[in-house]
Amino acid sequence: MELRQDKMTSQERIKALFNYQKPDRVPIGNLGIPIKTQGLTQRFPGFNVVSNYNDPRRAFYASLWTAKYYNWELVVHSFAHTILGGWDFGGEIQMPDKEYQDSLSIKSTPVKTEKDIRNLKMPNPKTAGGIPMAMEFSKLQGENNLPVWFFSRSPFCVASNICGSEQFCRWMIKKPDLCRRLLRMATDHIFNVLQYWIDTFSAENIFLEISSPNESNQLISPKQFTEFAFPYHIELQKKLRTMGIRRFFFHICGDQNLNLPYLAELSSLWVHPSILSFGHEVDLEVAGKYFPKDIIFGNIEPAVFQAGTAQQVYELCKVAIEKGKRLSGGFMLGPGCGLPPMSQVENVLAMTKAVDNLGWYE
Amino acid sequence: MASRKKTQELLKGLYNAVVFYDEKAAAELSKVALEESIDAYTAITDGLAAGMKKVGELYAAQEYFVPELLLCSDALYAGLGVLRPHIKVKQAKVKAQIVIGVVEGDIHDIGKNLVKVMFDAAGWIVHDLGKDVKLEKFVEEQQRTNSEIVGLSTLMTTSMLAIPKVIKMIRSQSTNVGIMVGGAPLTRDIAKRYGADGYAENAGTAVQEGVRLVEMLKKRKAQK
Repeated sequence: MELRQDKMTSQERIKALFNYQKPDRVPIGNLGIPIKTQGLTQRFPGFNVVSNYNDPRRAFYASLWTAKYYNWELVVHSFAHTILGGWDFGGEIQMPDKEYQDSLSIKSTPVKTEKDIRNLKMPNPKTAGGIPMAMEFSKLQGENNLPVWFFSRSPFCVASNICGSEQFCRWMIKKPDLCRRLLRMATDHIFNVLQYWIDTFSAENIFLEISSPNESNQLISPKQFTEFAFPYHIELQKKLRTMGIRRFFFHICGDQNLNLPYLAELSSLWVHPSILSFGHEVDLEVAGKYFPKDIIFGNIEPAVFQAGTAQQVYELCKVAIEKGKRLSGGFMLGPGCGLPPMSQVENVLAMTKAVDNLGWYE
Repeated sequence: MASRKKTQELLKGLYNAVVFYDEKAAAELSKVALEESIDAYTAITDGLAAGMKKVGELYAAQEYFVPELLLCSDALYAGLGVLRPHIKVKQAKVKAQIVIGVVEGDIHDIGKNLVKVMFDAAGWIVHDLGKDVKLEKFVEEQQRTNSEIVGLSTLMTTSMLAIPKVIKMIRSQSTNVGIMVGGAPLTRDIAKRYGADGYAENAGTAVQEGVRLVEMLKKRKAQK
């Protein structure tokens, strides 16, 4: 499906974006597959939420088809998480196989007590958790001449996931050294797995995504962010440079308004333009001021795709497009976080319609 | 019997133990309070609970965040564990009862736990069903306890779909119940559309909303 006045292919549009040139229109991105999408379940019988976590082949082709259906650019294209944390380090997971579940969760964390940390071993970077399935997905991307996606939580989130967010929060204040130990292991694990990807695909073909939901100010303070998250972001960015990673996507999840000054400082270390995805809690103009050299992605409230109306989505897109078109580093319209799998088809289409009506550059 | 000055000092100590998340001090000072024959109910309301109220204010002002709240709640429960068994029955004026839980499909319970702390501190009886709670369990527990309020929590966009369903289930069994909801994907607008009576954006505002709903129920009852 092409929009009315498309003058560029999706690849040309993304290329223009990364060269700081105006594309023909606002590119559209996605973060997830709406399972209810018309035709998806007919084309991929049995495709459901769990398929996104245990069936990389079907997830790959379903996401390609869905992107085409909604006219999304395939710039964001990942299979669950390459690295999650709790699973990789030996925790027990729960697949989202119940009616109201949409994501993989940790049923039992590998670390419950201080003693567990002492006994914690580094995971095998090729076989731990969901890594083999993520590798299968990445290989399909490579075979189809698409950027190979490597998707990890930030070191802070991986570390939190090893012992559970509540425990990590308590330890940050009462036993910070335990957090630092977990952060060290989490960071090293990310580098080890990334090296495996680099050895397999070479660095220039990899698009690296980091997401940081646990760093939101709905959970931690900016002071805690600077103490426990920021130093590892710096280490990560420096290492990415030496490893030769050229494409970076950062999902700055949730309300991170109080962290923005520090993230702006961090931005001097990453390659420009990178794609920065924001939740609806962060105003796009504010994001653009902090990160003038980067492509801002977002930030339609995900819940509205599921619980709202098409008109509501359209109105939110209208505001986002108006602001986004003025951003100096470029803009992609998309949801502010993972698109709910049970999103209404007409609500998701409203995003495409809004771009078709309002997203053209003169 | 402790002097007035000693009593004030101990109450302030309990208050500070909660505000500055000193679990050990909260338990020890609670024991001292009992040894000094300070009324357990007073120690809770004017010491521990007053401290937790301040914590709620600090959270609303973004001076405290979830890590501090969790530790403050640990201190609160350390003190409550010592003092609660010593409350005289006729003093234990229950403000109201709430059934609370994270709906089916969702295991994220930090927010719910913090809301529970706030209701506990405010003197409510809290029936905590935990996380990933079957929808019918909310109905059963509300019926069993005759709680005025049911609090439903969700963090995920998929599990939020359970909210309108469970609201209908609860209402089909009980007309005189206030239902409040909270969690990241919800807004006041969505809460209303789903048929909830109330919405709390965070733990700091939850008790206030609960009290509002209890008042609403009273008015409704009086009008009948």
